[in-house]
Amino acid sequence: MSRLNGLIPAALARPFTAIGGVLFLIAAMLPWATFILNDGAYPEKSTLQFFDAPFELTGFRWHLLLFGLLALIVTFAPIPGKNRVLGALGWGGGLIGAVGAAFIAGKGGGIGAITAADGTIAMGSIVAIVAGALLKIGSAATGPGDIPEWPTSLFGWTGMKQRLEAWVYLLVAFAGVLWLVAQTLTAGGIGGAAFPYAGPVFIAFLGFAGGLLGALHGIGLTRWVSQLSEKHRPFSIVVLLLCAFALPFPFTGAGSQYWMQVAATIGVYAATAIGLNIVVGLSGLLDLGYVAFMGIGAFVAANLSGVAASALGWNLPFPLAALIAAVVAGILGAIVGSPTLRVRGDYLAIVTLAFGEIFSRAAQNDIGDLTGGASAMPGIPPVSMFGTAFNEPINLLGAELPSGVLYYFMIVLVVALVMAVFANLKNSRMGRAWIAIREDEDAARAMGIRTGKAKILAFLVGATLAGLAGAIFVHKLGTASYDSFKFLESVTLLAAVILGGMGTIPGAVLGASLLFVLPEKLREFSDYRLFVFGLALVLIMRFRPQGLVPDRIRRAEFAGETAEGKSIEAVEEQAVLEQEQSEREPGAPAGPKEGRS
Amino acid sequence: MTTSRLEVPGYVRIVAGVVVVGLFLWLVGALGKLIDGGFKLLLQQTANGIVLGGTIGLIALGYTMVYGIIQLINFAHGEVFMVGAFGGLAVYRWVLPESVRGDWYISLPAMLLGGVIVAVVIAVLMERFAYRPLRNAPRLAPLITALGVSVALQEAIRLWFPDAASPQPFPTVFIEARVALGPISLSASQLLLIVVSIVLAVLLQTYISRSRMGRAMRATSQDHDTARLMGINPDRVIVLTFVMGAALAGVAGVLYGSNLNSVGNDIGFQNGIFAFTAAVLGGIGSLRGAVIGAFIIGLIKTLSGQYMPGGTQYDYVWIFVVLILVLVFRPQGLFGEAERVRA
Amino acid sequence: MRNQTVKAAAVVAAGLLLLSACGTNKDESAPAGGGSNESCDTSKGKLVLGVIAPLSGELSALGKGIQNSADLAVKEANEKCTIKGYELVIQAEDDQKNPQLGAQAATKLASTPNVIGVVSTLNSSVSQSVQPILDQAGILQISPANTADSLTKGEDAANPTRKYKTYFRTCTVDSLQGPFAANYMIKKAGKKKIAIITDGLTYGEGLADAFTTQAEKNGAEIVTRQKIGEKDTDFSGVIAAVQPFAPDGIYYGGQYPQAGPLSKQFASAGLSVPVMGGDGIYDDQFIALGGKDGDLATSVGAPTEELDSAKAFVAAYDKGGYTEAFSAYGAFSYDAANAIIGAVKATVEGKDWADSMRPDVVKAAGEYKGEGATGPVAFDKNGDSTNTVLTVYQVTGGKWKSVETGKFEG
Repeated sequence: MSRLNGLIPAALARPFTAIGGVLFLIAAMLPWATFILNDGAYPEKSTLQFFDAPFELTGFRWHLLLFGLLALIVTFAPIPGKNRVLGALGWGGGLIGAVGAAFIAGKGGGIGAITAADGTIAMGSIVAIVAGALLKIGSAATGPGDIPEWPTSLFGWTGMKQRLEAWVYLLVAFAGVLWLVAQTLTAGGIGGAAFPYAGPVFIAFLGFAGGLLGALHGIGLTRWVSQLSEKHRPFSIVVLLLCAFALPFPFTGAGSQYWMQVAATIGVYAATAIGLNIVVGLSGLLDLGYVAFMGIGAFVAANLSGVAASALGWNLPFPLAALIAAVVAGILGAIVGSPTLRVRGDYLAIVTLAFGEIFSRAAQNDIGDLTGGASAMPGIPPVSMFGTAFNEPINLLGAELPSGVLYYFMIVLVVALVMAVFANLKNSRMGRAWIAIREDEDAARAMGIRTGKAKILAFLVGATLAGLAGAIFVHKLGTASYDSFKFLESVTLLAAVILGGMGTIPGAVLGASLLFVLPEKLREFSDYRLFVFGLALVLIMRFRPQGLVPDRIRRAEFAGETAEGKSIEAVEEQAVLEQEQSEREPGAPAGPKEGRS
Repeated sequence: MTTSRLEVPGYVRIVAGVVVVGLFLWLVGALGKLIDGGFKLLLQQTANGIVLGGTIGLIALGYTMVYGIIQLINFAHGEVFMVGAFGGLAVYRWVLPESVRGDWYISLPAMLLGGVIVAVVIAVLMERFAYRPLRNAPRLAPLITALGVSVALQEAIRLWFPDAASPQPFPTVFIEARVALGPISLSASQLLLIVVSIVLAVLLQTYISRSRMGRAMRATSQDHDTARLMGINPDRVIVLTFVMGAALAGVAGVLYGSNLNSVGNDIGFQNGIFAFTAAVLGGIGSLRGAVIGAFIIGLIKTLSGQYMPGGTQYDYVWIFVVLILVLVFRPQGLFGEAERVRA
Repeated sequence: MRNQTVKAAAVVAAGLLLLSACGTNKDESAPAGGGSNESCDTSKGKLVLGVIAPLSGELSALGKGIQNSADLAVKEANEKCTIKGYELVIQAEDDQKNPQLGAQAATKLASTPNVIGVVSTLNSSVSQSVQPILDQAGILQISPANTADSLTKGEDAANPTRKYKTYFRTCTVDSLQGPFAANYMIKKAGKKKIAIITDGLTYGEGLADAFTTQAEKNGAEIVTRQKIGEKDTDFSGVIAAVQPFAPDGIYYGGQYPQAGPLSKQFASAGLSVPVMGGDGIYDDQFIALGGKDGDLATSVGAPTEELDSAKAFVAAYDKGGYTEAFSAYGAFSYDAANAIIGAVKATVEGKDWADSMRPDVVKAAGEYKGEGATGPVAFDKNGDSTNTVLTVYQVTGGKWKSVETGKFEG
């Protein structure tokens, strides 16, 4: 979006953003639809007449109101990083407007549904879109600016007091994250016939959440929180875990069986995505058959769980079965990795694709009587530990938790474990070796890294994690079938890692969440799901190949930005200018200055 | 793509050796079955393999040309083949008047033309909007993009070509006759496929080696910048490469449909993988290699489906095994140039 | 920069002009409140009929047929005010032939209030993950297309145990259809050497297994059994493998998209023998894709031409304006939906719906009797359809014609 920089002269920036903010306020109060749609009234009383009951705004209209107020405040107050904040608000609000416009116009049979028809006027959505554009253009007038830095202690305390202060901030921040996650998960409700507008309400909420997060990022709040959590890592981890465990409790609104299942599925795929992140993100080994390892873990666990269709007839307790599954998957991962040592890049992709397809075919044909073939292996007994079967509802701390919540807890622990493994690996010698191989394999070898061993290890670790995830997946689902492990799943996992941002943990989790929550939320568009997915892959690679949460190196590679968000070109220009400056001065030091930041 | 002899651990070589010996023993056993199962069956399956090789060869030529020139596996090339087939079907259904549909000498060329045009248009659009902006991006980006384009094309046909959610009947727009060549029996359309694919491959080879544009293509595939210094416009050459590859794929699509009488939106994926395997087997960048590799792949598929354990359910597993072995022991393929150092 | 601003401004201006021009372009939107019948009393609210089927992906033709047929049943029920006080709505969820998505859809429906029953699923593997979830919630599930015996009778055929009391089905099972076909093919059509080909999926394999047992009992010889890939269109390999055995008949376990070209390719290779299959190939598309005269198929119920209810269904479906054909399982889906509606009607009669009534609905379904598009609809103690009437159809003059109707007795 650097094209928008300087589109209008700097003097116009403030009027633009101020008008944008006011327009958001107006859009929030205007009616959005000219009539009640056929499937039922569009939510948030969208046909409310102009300025009727301004204090009863709810949902996305209330979000727009909030954005408008924030935009006005930020325009006129001397807040650092205001351009980024305004830009984020513009995007978020504009998206809310666009979604509303598109959906109402689409369902209402024409543009008249959102402009004027039969004597009623409803320009709400269009005004919101215009306001968003104004904000965006206005904020870009003087460039994005730097993200402000916050001091570690807001009150200048040190020592124990500072630590306690940081803990309080972290608690508040993570509670906020919990709230946001719960809201996102439940936005739009379950949907279905009772509430046909779940999809657009959800997207509008995403606009709100994205705008809010972008604004916070622009002020520097998110970076500050992440720095704090780096400094107080053990505490942060504990709090995060507690928040994750708190999700099923009734006060978050996400405590039903359905949400638990969605969250648990996201967890499983997130764990798998983190494993894939080791192979693709850290080591740069493009694996197109990754879901096969998940499948191997799944079938091994299924066979060891005493299911009727198993030829082995063993019945091992779940932790043991899962462990064996993970180990077997890991060994197979190393085996798969070996022939690929001599191939690079695209060829590696094809070879791994070939392995994936071999697995798929073998599973479909019930190889060695291990996979049940087309009849699959149904009736896998649910995990049972500490006397409760995991698919029963339980009563914890006085609250009635829905069935499936124990699986969710287990998966949270597993994801935490996987994250810990990943983080430790990334910062270890092996992790650095992987990153070196990814960047330039020949140089890495020249530096003495045993690339063959490293690559096999990458495959092994990645496959082990996938196998573990697969074992859990199949116990939760109750059926092990080859249908769950096809090429499309591999592509989706790869897309999740790339979309989220390669080489980072939050990236993989975010990517997995998006790719498994969106189809669930937007079920009415399920016909177009794959098409949109393909298109999205193309667009992401074109416009944001570094993903949503990129790591430092990727950002430099793909987007030409440093970690602080400055453009690398700008930094280099700056350095060259400084150098020329110092050379022109008479007392310049001998030799070129250090030009690199 | 450089080879790295130093890095293959000893145990990998041992495992690979064991696999090869095992395969050989199976083949010997299969030979026993064959002698008593009938020589005629062997010949027939060989002929079937060559027919399959014809289709795959035409698609593989596209893969190998594009990879040679911009080092991109165009995953979506298989879908170009599929779109070409549907293009031909569209011409048959909506352009050709009822009266001439039965006359194959009018409808077949018309469908071929239609298929080629549609395939070429899609390929050019693909190149222009999906691949060209990523010319200088790290290797991962165009690969993912190609995957995305492939999925999107498959779905687009399913959604917007009427009834394409299930396989569509495709007319045999050729003489309906069976030709007997000794113990082998082939249909006229199958023969047509073989003949056309060989002729087109030869024509392509001649063009690339003799004509000016062919020289330009070879130059661009060696080094874009130097070619530009020599006055060649690499962009235009790349577009032409895509066009030619797509044209071949379009022809393959129509003939494939005419042969098997049904086309679905999923025919691109499997045939595409075979074609890429064939291109790699023959040596990526070599046209001759692509065609010969394709015939080899076709033979492997039909013969392993007949004689190997597991039968037709595992036939393409054997193809992949061969692919993996080739990439381990001779990554440049049969006819490829060894070691061209690329960044 | 100047250039870009001018261009941008021009675009915006054009857009505004366009917007104001189309400002009054509102069209079809129906009168407020939607289009359903005003004469019905729908004061008590809505009841939801769920559908779980593959609505996208490779099986979408079959899945959409299921969805549309259920939708037709719901529309008709609303027009006839079948359940007084309530309006029926349909909620279709996509499972994409993936058990995990099927489970997700089932959980979603189980958590939705006012769900009265679910028509699901198409694939047996998906059904396996849907059954436990719906059973736990006590929601009625009727499948229009699962033919695997194990879903109602458990793994052990000798001791049938019904694991899920909420599961029923309107389609026939492999253990009936296969042997019925075998009896016809060997005793009536007089084939002695039969080649069996399947597509490797549950439906085809189950059917072929049942056929084989009966065929061998009847004294025929199964000369070979081959499998083709799920998505194959080139059958020259299989054809060449089968030809040396010179069979006089071929039994195919699978669906019509492959059966059609298979039949045609066999014929052009010189092996022009009848190809017989189950209800998966009984579709007009089979003939369009290459099915030839003399090919046979079995299907549940009396012949469509003789059943008034079947003709009524076909006519109503055509008028319903659906883009996709009802394909192989539409009629079964229609009957399943009507069975659910009927069971609910019996339970709700005069009372208000509460989700706690779901077990009563299941009981009522067990006792349901009705006339469906496939014949009389009722369920036995295992949840299987009691409609064991099967018909053999033969392609004659380019169309399916029924040639024999009967029951298969054990």
